[in-house]
Amino acid sequence: MPRARLIGLMLLFLGPAVAVYTLFSIYPLLATISLSTYSTTDTGDHVFVGLANFTTLLTDEVWSKPFWNAFFNNFLLFCVHMVVQNPIGIALAGLLSLPALRFRATYRTLIFLPTMLSVVIIGFAWNLILSPLWGVAEGLLKAIGLGSWFAPWLGLPSTALVTLSLISVWQFIGIPMMLIYAALLNIPEELVDAARVDGLGQFRIFTHIKLPLILPTIGMVSILTFVGNFNAFDLIYAVKGALAGPNFASDILGTYFYRTFFGYQLQVGSPTMGATVATVMFLIILAGVCVYLFLVQRRMLRYTF
Amino acid sequence: MATVRIAKLNKSYGDAAILRDIDLSVDDGEFVVLVGPSGCGKSTLLRMIAGLDGVTSGDIFIGERRVNDLEPAHRKIAMVFQSYALYPHMNVKKNMTFGLKFSGMAQPEMDRRVAEAARMLRLEPLLERRPRDLSGGQRQRVAIGRAIVREPDVFLFDEPLSNLDAALRVSTRVEIAKLHRLLGATMIYVTHDQIEAMTLADRIVVMNHGLIAQVGKPLDLYYHPANLFVAGFIGSPAMNFFDASVAAKNATAVTISGPGVAAFDAAVKNFSGPVGAKIKIGVRPEHLLAEGGSGFKIAGAVELVERLGETSYAHVRATPEVALIAEIRGRDAPNAGDPIALSAHERDLHLFDERGERIAID
Repeated sequence: MPRARLIGLMLLFLGPAVAVYTLFSIYPLLATISLSTYSTTDTGDHVFVGLANFTTLLTDEVWSKPFWNAFFNNFLLFCVHMVVQNPIGIALAGLLSLPALRFRATYRTLIFLPTMLSVVIIGFAWNLILSPLWGVAEGLLKAIGLGSWFAPWLGLPSTALVTLSLISVWQFIGIPMMLIYAALLNIPEELVDAARVDGLGQFRIFTHIKLPLILPTIGMVSILTFVGNFNAFDLIYAVKGALAGPNFASDILGTYFYRTFFGYQLQVGSPTMGATVATVMFLIILAGVCVYLFLVQRRMLRYTF
Repeated sequence: MATVRIAKLNKSYGDAAILRDIDLSVDDGEFVVLVGPSGCGKSTLLRMIAGLDGVTSGDIFIGERRVNDLEPAHRKIAMVFQSYALYPHMNVKKNMTFGLKFSGMAQPEMDRRVAEAARMLRLEPLLERRPRDLSGGQRQRVAIGRAIVREPDVFLFDEPLSNLDAALRVSTRVEIAKLHRLLGATMIYVTHDQIEAMTLADRIVVMNHGLIAQVGKPLDLYYHPANLFVAGFIGSPAMNFFDASVAAKNATAVTISGPGVAAFDAAVKNFSGPVGAKIKIGVRPEHLLAEGGSGFKIAGAVELVERLGETSYAHVRATPEVALIAEIRGRDAPNAGDPIALSAHERDLHLFDERGERIAID
């Protein structure tokens, strides 16, 4: 093929994707990073300040205290997902792939259903369910004799974040389940048959054969969870508003960024400080993904069957 | 070492009957090959013997034990799968000892068995490797090794050669035959390849539509197929069949004629059909002779010749409706368009009645 024609074809096929990706992803990212090195003066001019915004964010107590609060809250949110969502997702996928299971498609659809609902609806529904005034949760607990366990979980600083995390887990459990279920379906039947001839029951087949073979998928689910959690915003905003109460107990980087950039109530919005927070979030996620790609994924073997 | 006995075995999924009233006995140390077209139920039968598929009704005995309700691991069987089914995350040695470990076997005994199987199958240099680093043939040897270390009563093979290329298939086939001689174990082997069946088996079980069409020694099936299905299935290229009918009949012989086929007499035993009964004549391509045959004669024109070297296959059309294939040996094969006259010895003819059952010839 002549060179000119090859270049023409490359432009034709790659051009649209490169253009869209550059315009809507690369350019905004670079513009945000660039904006984070500027500051707004009283007259409204942007002046270059180098890394001063980052110093302010990490050292000035007015900025750094809520930032680290949001960071650790975010980390807790991630931990709850890793400890609750992913193991349960794996277990559900394991159950779904059992040969003797009936109504498989029904379970799959039902469990995946909340994922397809809007976060706003989910947040609103759980807000109602858990409300100490008119929520059904207290009544249900009373009905089974556990009424004394009830507390206004969304309203207590000690429990608000974990409660919100569990709501998010409840909503998104279908995603790890589906990804891992698909990976499990990929394992050939004969491998399971061979393990049965070797004397393993279904549980041991899962732990000794299937689980090691789907480790790469579990790794991928983990990194998706990490990226999703450190970008999270919508559920907290829908349930608790941008102040992420009570007393910032459920504040995460997304809500912190929102208040910084757009301003909220008495706080004046600052595009440059907002860009700084956004850049730090980007760097945190980048670091996490790099650790995964270079330290974890390289050591994992992918199997072709 | 053990016998396998299957009595009145049925398997169905819902309304679909996969196996119907299968009766089969396999002697101690015998090599039995289950063969048939895909969907005939041969793999299902093997998986039921292994305990991987449940029994709808009937009994399976291994040795003296009825094993219907035993888990695969307790049946003292070992199975070799078509895709090898090696555990990808374990090295060769672990693959072989994995099952033994779960049965609580002591390490020295496991080491002894692995060493012995590895020596037998020349796997010693591969023991630390993972399946992904092995070739297809090596993987299949590991799979066989994994079966050997179990020291089972019965080896079950499910199309073990069909993922190998042609050359490896031949050499692995020979290895399996040697292994059977060496171990003397009972082996049941499923294949759709009749060459594997003919070369490996002490006895072949030909299956069709969930039924056993015929059980017999390889050459018995070749020379005395019990029905049209076995006649057409065993042998390559397949047997030629000609529609014919009984033109005349006396106490010891019938006269047979049909479109394109010259009338001839055949001395048949216990043929009870009337004059005019439809029958089928079967002649293998390799038994059609350009000269010297007796009885059966057919003439036509060569349409196409496939030359394989020492042999050629002539596709011949006798009448617009009657076509056949003849094997011609030697250098002077006919050319397309040539007229040809073929005949066959009476001993090489196969006659089948209207239901497709063999009519014995004296």
